[in-house]
Amino acid sequence: MVSKKTKIINEQGLHMRPAMEFAQEMAKFQCDVNLKFNGSDFNGKSVINIMAGAMKCGSEIEVQCDGADEEAALAKALEMIESGFGE
Amino acid sequence: MRITDLLSKDAVVLRAKVSNKEEAFDMLIDLHEKIGSITNKKLYKEDIMKREAQGPTAIGDGIAIPHAKSSAVKKPMLTAITVPDGVDLNALDQQPSKLIFMIAAPEGGGDTHLELLSRLTVMLMDASFREELLAAQNTDAFLKIIDRKETEKYGHEEPVQKKDGYRILAVTACPTGIAHTFMAAEALTNKAAEMGINLKAETNGSGGAKNVLTRQEIEQADAIIIAADKNVEMARFDGKRVIKTSVSEGIHKPEELIKRALSGDAPVYHHNGAKTEERYSGDESFGRKIYKHLMNGVSHMLPFVVGGGILIALAFLLDDYAIDPSNFGKNTPLAAFFKTLGDTAFGFMLPILAGYIAMSIADRPGLAVGFVGGALAVSGMTFLNPDGGISAGFLGALFAGFVGGYIVVGLRKIFSKLPDSLEGIKPVLLYPLLGVLLIGVVMCAVNPLIAMLNEALNNGLRSMGTTSKVLLGIVLGGMMSIDMGGPFNKAAYVFGTASIASGEYDIMAAVMIGGMIPPLAIALCSTFFKNRFTPAERQSGLVNYILGLCFISEGAIPFAAADPLRVIPSCIVGSAVAGGLSMLFGCTLMAPHGGIFVFPVVGNWPMYLLALVIGSVVGCIMLAFLKKPVQK
Repeated sequence: MVSKKTKIINEQGLHMRPAMEFAQEMAKFQCDVNLKFNGSDFNGKSVINIMAGAMKCGSEIEVQCDGADEEAALAKALEMIESGFGE
Repeated sequence: MRITDLLSKDAVVLRAKVSNKEEAFDMLIDLHEKIGSITNKKLYKEDIMKREAQGPTAIGDGIAIPHAKSSAVKKPMLTAITVPDGVDLNALDQQPSKLIFMIAAPEGGGDTHLELLSRLTVMLMDASFREELLAAQNTDAFLKIIDRKETEKYGHEEPVQKKDGYRILAVTACPTGIAHTFMAAEALTNKAAEMGINLKAETNGSGGAKNVLTRQEIEQADAIIIAADKNVEMARFDGKRVIKTSVSEGIHKPEELIKRALSGDAPVYHHNGAKTEERYSGDESFGRKIYKHLMNGVSHMLPFVVGGGILIALAFLLDDYAIDPSNFGKNTPLAAFFKTLGDTAFGFMLPILAGYIAMSIADRPGLAVGFVGGALAVSGMTFLNPDGGISAGFLGALFAGFVGGYIVVGLRKIFSKLPDSLEGIKPVLLYPLLGVLLIGVVMCAVNPLIAMLNEALNNGLRSMGTTSKVLLGIVLGGMMSIDMGGPFNKAAYVFGTASIASGEYDIMAAVMIGGMIPPLAIALCSTFFKNRFTPAERQSGLVNYILGLCFISEGAIPFAAADPLRVIPSCIVGSAVAGGLSMLFGCTLMAPHGGIFVFPVVGNWPMYLLALVIGSVVGCIMLAFLKKPVQK
């Protein structure tokens, strides 16, 4: 498993639109994607799960990818989060 | 925030018959209009559609949560419809949507809608919950199902950010407690709302503390922001993270303060008596601390000056000067009533000033010590003459306030070595007993000096009696303004009344005009140079017109006490000019008091009035020149 900590930078947090974008993108990978935030785990491939986390601007989250293409998935996930989902 | 607080019975339609997205959305928007959450339906719909264009809000599993932050939204609200047959909202999973919630969030509403989304989705993840909602018989049942689920999920472990837990608390206070206190509270509350943080602000205004923080709230809070220019009750914050700052920081930098409070690097506050003072001495400059203590005294004294002063003015208005000029103000029963009432209020003025200065320095135990010290300054008690002699005036009261406060601080330091078991008797026995004793000793040691000064001044005046009348007028006028009730003022006043007895009426005229100038100069300055004064000062400035015209110099004391180095010299110069002019014009006065009400019997009154105007204007301009504009 690979993992890395990062921060949510978009002003409104991980709201529905970025959550959807993220989940759709992650669904393309085979590995499991888990977002660790505030001590809880949220399935990174599920919009509902991500939104349930209510990750706000400035929140520190850990992206954990586990599976065949974990490196690529992690890279993509970080790229999306750190770019602020184009917001 | 609970979902059921934002979703009412009227905002839900069950088993809606809609055949496409547009119809479904229109129905939800109409519901929003019906419950009054939006002001402009068309604009809100545009914003909803704009959001939809960025990607569908149908998140799968038959759920859709269309939403928009929009300027058309008044308050955050929810509407909901169930569509058992489903409607195509371009869901990710291509499934028709059956449960549709629409969120209206105000622009700049912070993270509210994110939390709302989060709560809804967390609850909707449960398939059986979705089934139940779809099967609900009526809207009441629908809401009940949500309420039950929400309690089950969040009921007991209500996160800190929710309704009755405030993450950050604030206390705002300024010396006058009229405007800035509330501006700071509002700035902090609004900024926090914008940042999606629950913040409660207690205001310690002139009307007492409002929106008071409860013990439970303090316990649960992450940090406390104290934005105050006067002392606030601190013992309750023991062990919490506390940020101390000025009220203007609260108004201008709310975001910075809140961020600092959230970051958790604010120092933990320990309240144990004497340490308080030392701990924060580093954070505030010496001058600022003195100012804060001073203003605590002045703001408490002000009501006595205003209430008493106006009643005395009424007494003069209602009295008949002709009955007995030397007893003016008390000649008729009604006048005597008002005069006595006013005098009684004035009697508290200096003890209150000293008491609250001491309380600001040393917390509650300081009050009694300062209060007694202030009263001793008024009575002029000495060791040899316990009945009192010459009042030390308001400068004496200022002295008593500061000395009294620091006596208690000193006692605390000394007693901190006592065993803990004696802790309880410190505030009830040791501080009051030793504090009052010590301030008594100090005042009795100082008062004879005041009496000696007074005596010297009397002698000086007597020897001046034969020199230039104009110079005498200048000196007398100026003396009236030096301490407004202290040894200088008293010496001049007694000299004036004694002169009446010996048949010289021009001296009293110069004395009275000297005493009328300070309030008038301040009143004029607060009218024409508004930016030199705080809003509260400007209001009491108006009262000073009346007090000045009635020869009630005390009206100037709150201003003089708050800013002695600028106010007193201005008043002295104005009064000296008026006193000298009065002598020059040969004005005379046979009554010892009365202000404008005895003008009819002033000899050469038109010129007397002129002298009054010139003196006031001179004082006003000098004050405006010396005083700096109040920082906003």
